[in-house]
Amino acid sequence: MKTSIHYRIALFCIFFGIGFIGCKTKESNDEPKKIAIVVSTLNNPWFVFLAQKAEAKAKQLGYESKIFDSQNNTAQETDHFDNAIASGYDAILFNPTDADGSIVNVKNAVAAGVPVFCMDREVNANGAATSQILSDSYSGCVAIGKYFVETLNKKGKYVEILGMVGDNNTWNRSKGFHSVVDFYPGLKMVAQQSADFDRNKAMDVMESILQAHPDIDGVFCGNDAMAMGAYQALVASGKADRVKVFGFDGAEDVVKSIRDGKILATGMQFPEVMAQTAATFADEYFKGKRDFPGKMPVAVELVKKDNVENYAAYGEKE
Amino acid sequence: MPKPIRYLLYVAVIALLAYNSVYFKKLDEVKAGSAAFDAAAYAKDFWEKKLMPGLPKAVELGVLTTQLETEKDKAFEQHSHALGIGNIRYFLVKGQGEVTDVSENEVSVALARGGGKAGNVRIATEYVFGNAVRDASGAIDINAFTNSMDFNNVSAEINKLIREKVIPPFKSKVKKGDRVAFQGAIELNRGHLQLNSIEIIPVSLQIKKP
Repeated sequence: MKTSIHYRIALFCIFFGIGFIGCKTKESNDEPKKIAIVVSTLNNPWFVFLAQKAEAKAKQLGYESKIFDSQNNTAQETDHFDNAIASGYDAILFNPTDADGSIVNVKNAVAAGVPVFCMDREVNANGAATSQILSDSYSGCVAIGKYFVETLNKKGKYVEILGMVGDNNTWNRSKGFHSVVDFYPGLKMVAQQSADFDRNKAMDVMESILQAHPDIDGVFCGNDAMAMGAYQALVASGKADRVKVFGFDGAEDVVKSIRDGKILATGMQFPEVMAQTAATFADEYFKGKRDFPGKMPVAVELVKKDNVENYAAYGEKE
Repeated sequence: MPKPIRYLLYVAVIALLAYNSVYFKKLDEVKAGSAAFDAAAYAKDFWEKKLMPGLPKAVELGVLTTQLETEKDKAFEQHSHALGIGNIRYFLVKGQGEVTDVSENEVSVALARGGGKAGNVRIATEYVFGNAVRDASGAIDINAFTNSMDFNNVSAEINKLIREKVIPPFKSKVKKGDRVAFQGAIELNRGHLQLNSIEIIPVSLQIKKP
């Protein structure tokens, strides 16, 4: 009898186990793979657009997806990565908060077998992410720098408003711009300050710079939000007609301002292209592809008054 | 086993492990390794070994513009290069024509043998910036670079070579009415093609004797 009870228990366990494995296998086959979209911040409409386009492409490819907002906080980003790995997400489309601070999250995910595709912002570790799809910010700002020199006729005083100092894009943009402008000794940079890619901060920074340097001729801003903030400060001080403002991103209000002659130019990024490429790479990864380019640059186009009709917010006119 | 031999064995094993676990290297060597990439030397090598030998493959600009008007996609597919994705593509081109104007920043040329809408082109002599020459030949692989700033610096150094070696001897002599031959790189936007304002970043320039 004793043997019989043990025999029954063993038999029950085997059947239950097989049944459980069967259920799990069925679930794995039937349920779509899941993609986590972890974005640095959803306070900036540019990143909202990036995340939404990634989500739409993932859905179109037949995958479930969820957007996580890191609120520009690497600790929060780490929580999102931990949750994504623990919840069984199969890939992460990632817009990092910090080029250095985000490396560990990428490495942890990849070590756990979850591929990571960076969008727009990079991490400073070659080979850590499965692939990085990035705007060619440097080259875009070379084009802006050239136009800046042409429109200021190689002379004048100017201000540079930088983005977040921990972000590679900030420096790629600044270096691209200076790789051209610094050739011309007649162009003098009287102030260079960070406004964290934030419109209100840029307005404050510009207001205080104008008090010390009321005679500037141009302003180069590391993104369009800051360009709009700087423009507001110039309007308030009555200098908007004289000072030429340049941005970067291709945001809706700046495209409109270029059309109206308020802002001189911007570098049009293509977040939709980056988001769609990242989602497509994830799809290819699921299907077995492994040889992805370490970095995939996406061309940035110079938008100015004579070609602005070709563009809409965050990309080309459809 | 006698104790002295056993201890001797322990010491030998520990010494062997320690020797294979730690190594010393001069800090100078380590620093030199991290800053090893010499963009100027790379650009010079690229110029001599890849760009110059590849120049005979440059497409005649008049032929290219005619093809762009009739079969744009095929022209981009056959003749353009780019290292990333997007509308901006680069072409290696050649041509000849008559100088119609010499200004501070460029030399305007009316192409010989017509040339469709690209009848007039501009040779940049001042604003030599960007990636046109680096990327037009298709001879550079972005994934061969571990650092994107190294990659950007290659463009800057190639453009410096053009500013120092190609442009000065040409700019000092060229005048309106001269016949010139050029080889160089152009940038075109596949999505918004503009053939009436082609700017050539020159790689080779000659003023033809009358």
